[in-house]
Amino acid sequence: MNATACYFENSMAQESTEIARGLRRRDPDLLDRLIEQYQHRLLRYLMYLTGRRELAEDLFQETWIRVLERGHQFNDKYTFSTWLFAVARNLTIDYMRRKQPASLDGLLNDGEAAFDVPATGQASAFDLSLRREQNEHIAAGMEHLPAEYREALVLRFQEGMSLDEIANVTRVPLGTVKSRIYRGLNELEPWLKGAPL
Amino acid sequence: MSAAKNGVTENDAHERARKLIALAGTEAVSGADDQSSNAWLAEHMSTCASCRAFAENAAETIRGLRAIPIAAERSLVSTTQARVRRRALELQRQRERLWLVSVSCTAVSLIALLSTFALWRGFEWLGARAQLAPLVWQVVFVVFCVTPALVTGVLLLLRGTHLADHSGSYQS
Repeated sequence: MNATACYFENSMAQESTEIARGLRRRDPDLLDRLIEQYQHRLLRYLMYLTGRRELAEDLFQETWIRVLERGHQFNDKYTFSTWLFAVARNLTIDYMRRKQPASLDGLLNDGEAAFDVPATGQASAFDLSLRREQNEHIAAGMEHLPAEYREALVLRFQEGMSLDEIANVTRVPLGTVKSRIYRGLNELEPWLKGAPL
Repeated sequence: MSAAKNGVTENDAHERARKLIALAGTEAVSGADDQSSNAWLAEHMSTCASCRAFAENAAETIRGLRAIPIAAERSLVSTTQARVRRRALELQRQRERLWLVSVSCTAVSLIALLSTFALWRGFEWLGARAQLAPLVWQVVFVVFCVTPALVTGVLLLLRGTHLADHSGSYQS
């Protein structure tokens, strides 16, 4: 292992230890910092998981309350984001179970409007419109994917998690994670060209 | 037979290549962990147009996925921080209350133990002074200890009966 990789691994381990210590103390300043740090990633994950912004925002708040209450359970052997996403996922499943006895399969696909994709960037009007259109197609495709595939794609390609980390968050074997990513990407491909929109 | 077998093998090769591409993400060929898989994939891609197209589409899809902007609003973050701080304060107060209750319980138990022991010795001494049989002062001791609880219980019962008699809706 080279020195840079070793340095990053050590600093990540140290950061996890500090977070674990702070969570055990229920340090509000640390939590403020973590909320700031993970705000977009967590909300994005919850939005893809639930498909609804209002619900995702509610669950976002509940997730941080849960992090505060159960912070002592965080094991610093793992990265904080893995644990955070697992907490968010469990809360979402609990919510769905309360709403109707179902697993993640019950998420989305209930006909409600989902991802709102605002325009971004400083590109030309044409580029912007093209990119927006493509993003809309992909967002629409995501909306139609089974929740398990969608979750695997988000964790892998948006959150940049390793396959092992995804397996930890979703509590499924590594092989299942791999096949979900492969199938998800396969099913998303036709949407890239906007075919079934 | 051989053609069918070749077809299956070819399908397997495409399947394997596409799985490797999907798992590697935008890093495509160079992202594959295993060196031999990496080499095999590179070789396969050089000859297979459909897998190359798949890789391009996959990379584009992943780029598109990453480009979808979903951002948390400032108000959501500040509301969450405020809620978390409030809950942290509640939990801290709860913990302080629990600590106070535990300390009180421990102190009460300790005092009860010491006072029972002191009372026992006092009754023993009084019994000896009054030349009473041990059973007598022991019974008096038990009555003395139990009386406050009994009186309180009876008073509470009376209060309940009183409420039931006059309001008429006590049970409900």
